[in-house]
Amino acid sequence: MAFPYEHEREVRILSRGWGDPRTRTLEGWKALGGYQALEKALRMPRGEVIDEVKASGLRGRGGAGFPTGVKWSFMPKEKTGPQYLCCNADESEPGTFKDRELLRWTPHQLIEGCLIAAHAIQADHVFIYCRGEFFEAVQVLARAVEEAYEAGLIGKDILGTGIDIELTVHSGAGAYICGEETALMNSLEGRRGLPRIKPPFPAAVGAFGRPTTINNVETLCAVPHIVQHGGAWYREQGTEKSSGTKLFCVSGHVVRPGNYELPLGFPLKDLIYDVCGGFRPGRSLKAVIPGGSSVPILNAAECEDCTLDYEGVVEAGSMLGCASVIIMDDTTDIVKQVRRMVDFYAHESCGQCTPCREGTQWMARILRRIEEGRGTEEDMDTLLDLGDQMTGTTICVLSDSAAAPVASSIAKFRDDYLALIRRGERVGAA
Amino acid sequence: MSDHTKASGPIPFRNPGWAGNTGSFDLTEAQVRGDDFVGVRPPDGGHPSGAPSYPYMKADKAPDAPLFEGPYRERFEKILTRYPETRAALLPTLNLAQELRGHISPDTMREVAVLLDLPEAYVRGVTSFYTMYNKKPVGRFLIQVCTNISCNLCGGDEVLAAFLKHTGTELGATSSDGDFTVMEVECLAACGTPTAVQINSRYYENVTPDGVPAILERLRARGE
Ligand SMILES: Cc1cc2nc3c(=O)[nH]c(=O)nc-3n(C[C@H](O)[C@H](O)[C@H](O)COP(=O)(O)O)c2cc1C
Ligand code: SF4
Ligand code: FES
Repeated sequence: MAFPYEHEREVRILSRGWGDPRTRTLEGWKALGGYQALEKALRMPRGEVIDEVKASGLRGRGGAGFPTGVKWSFMPKEKTGPQYLCCNADESEPGTFKDRELLRWTPHQLIEGCLIAAHAIQADHVFIYCRGEFFEAVQVLARAVEEAYEAGLIGKDILGTGIDIELTVHSGAGAYICGEETALMNSLEGRRGLPRIKPPFPAAVGAFGRPTTINNVETLCAVPHIVQHGGAWYREQGTEKSSGTKLFCVSGHVVRPGNYELPLGFPLKDLIYDVCGGFRPGRSLKAVIPGGSSVPILNAAECEDCTLDYEGVVEAGSMLGCASVIIMDDTTDIVKQVRRMVDFYAHESCGQCTPCREGTQWMARILRRIEEGRGTEEDMDTLLDLGDQMTGTTICVLSDSAAAPVASSIAKFRDDYLALIRRGERVGAA
Repeated sequence: MSDHTKASGPIPFRNPGWAGNTGSFDLTEAQVRGDDFVGVRPPDGGHPSGAPSYPYMKADKAPDAPLFEGPYRERFEKILTRYPETRAALLPTLNLAQELRGHISPDTMREVAVLLDLPEAYVRGVTSFYTMYNKKPVGRFLIQVCTNISCNLCGGDEVLAAFLKHTGTELGATSSDGDFTVMEVECLAACGTPTAVQINSRYYENVTPDGVPAILERLRARGE
């Protein structure tokens, strides 16, 4: 039951219960077998919980796809003071809208995942950092946390195991960059959301100067299922290197956009034409951004054999990111959309690094000039040059993310740019 | 290749009020928004675990309200218990101040600095970093239209234009009756139900230019 549409090819693990308001309640979540995994995990040695997650092959769903069990094992073996778990619910990558649904339909799934993870990494306190705009979702989550506290599932001596874990729902205040893990920690500490230079890595020095692990909402939501049914069970879905199911956020020009939970490795063309109902009559595929606005754009030919797993999308020439599939039909004005994305990065750059602060602004200005029909062919070289200087030269990868759609769109949709430049005419503007 | 006929078939589309498309589901607006589970949240914040996470924008603002008294004081004190350092209470405290007063004026920054024992310049620096803090007063309804890529592909620019036209305002300005301020916003994480619009703290999804007058009507009538 993904939301708002269902499809028979979905494999519903995380999205089971979406669209059913009863699953928001503790009672409803327990009726689906909820909190059994927590009971089980708290009575397992923490090393075994980590091993099970390693065995599942679960990879971080926040964008980078780093193996979750391995990340957990970076935490200190011997605890010397407070340790923290941060749940990244700052979801603000354009095209991504899965965490919001997880928060508002199955809040207890996230709470359970957070508690299991906190046990595994010996965290005393979990902070769920939600983007400030998530008023409705956060109200639902906060209510569910309250219920879980009342039932003795969070707090002191959880379920009589002697384990203490606190959990706090924290709201940000509007800044895309706070989704970057170290910026999130700075923001949580009451500072500007500026990414930190790594190393030190969060597992050594994280939030409040203490060892911290940070995971995405979807990553943590998968954990109870893995603990309950085992890592091998989770591996039954997906591919060898990209195991399990993934929530695909499909937006743009398809008939039925929305979230769909599918096994990793699902063919992109089936997602577009079968699951999402294809395009409106008379329209056809022009381009796809498969992983949120930070990844290279794919043209129709590259979509042909692309499978949606971490390796498959790289082979096709892009990245899976957070599986935010933005689909564009032949009426799309590519230059305008790229300019809009770059405007976004220019607005959201935290300003610490010169290539990013200046580069995004320059790119936005040049793209607008081209869009308005005042560009030159040299401008495209300038853009590519700028992109090179912005890649791999900064504290975080926001800068690289801004350069990726520019470089890839110039490479793949050069004719769209040329048409604007040569004729001052916009391709596709209806 | 799979079934192409679906593309031209009927599109299942249900919309309970303004909470978004419910596609395959039959749900009321209250069920989609979660109101029936959450109920009315107390201004004191309920359990301390959720005290930092309450609404940040209400229609009725009290720019001169003290920081903080009564239930708001209770909530502020609950917030202070949740973090290992007082500094971490800064964002939640600013959120609370904005919920009460509607914007964060230089005076508010000064008061918050005193409350948390932080330098005033520091509080200014942090406040100016985050876009959700209104640096000047806004209308009863702050309308934020997403024009980022997924919404833009489906007409976000036109929806923004419709809001400006029907409220008779310019971008960022407040209408003469003090009711509406319209702004552009970056992705709201509701890209599958474009165009996404946030009005005060609420999301309105699947908004089309034609739907704008009815939304404004509803705001005037219901206050949310
Ligand atoms: C600019 C930038 C923005 C990011 N935004 C988010 C975000 O909104 N949500 C998220 O979960 N991860 C985001 N990330 C990734 C996080 O830094 C981090 O890798 C992730 O939360 C780790 O969780 P995972 O291992 O479960 O994927 C962002 C990264 C960067 C560089
Ligand atoms: S790359 Fe950009 S967003 Fe990232 S730290 Fe540098 S200036 Fe800030
Ligand atoms: S692009 Fe508009 S909500 Fe994401």
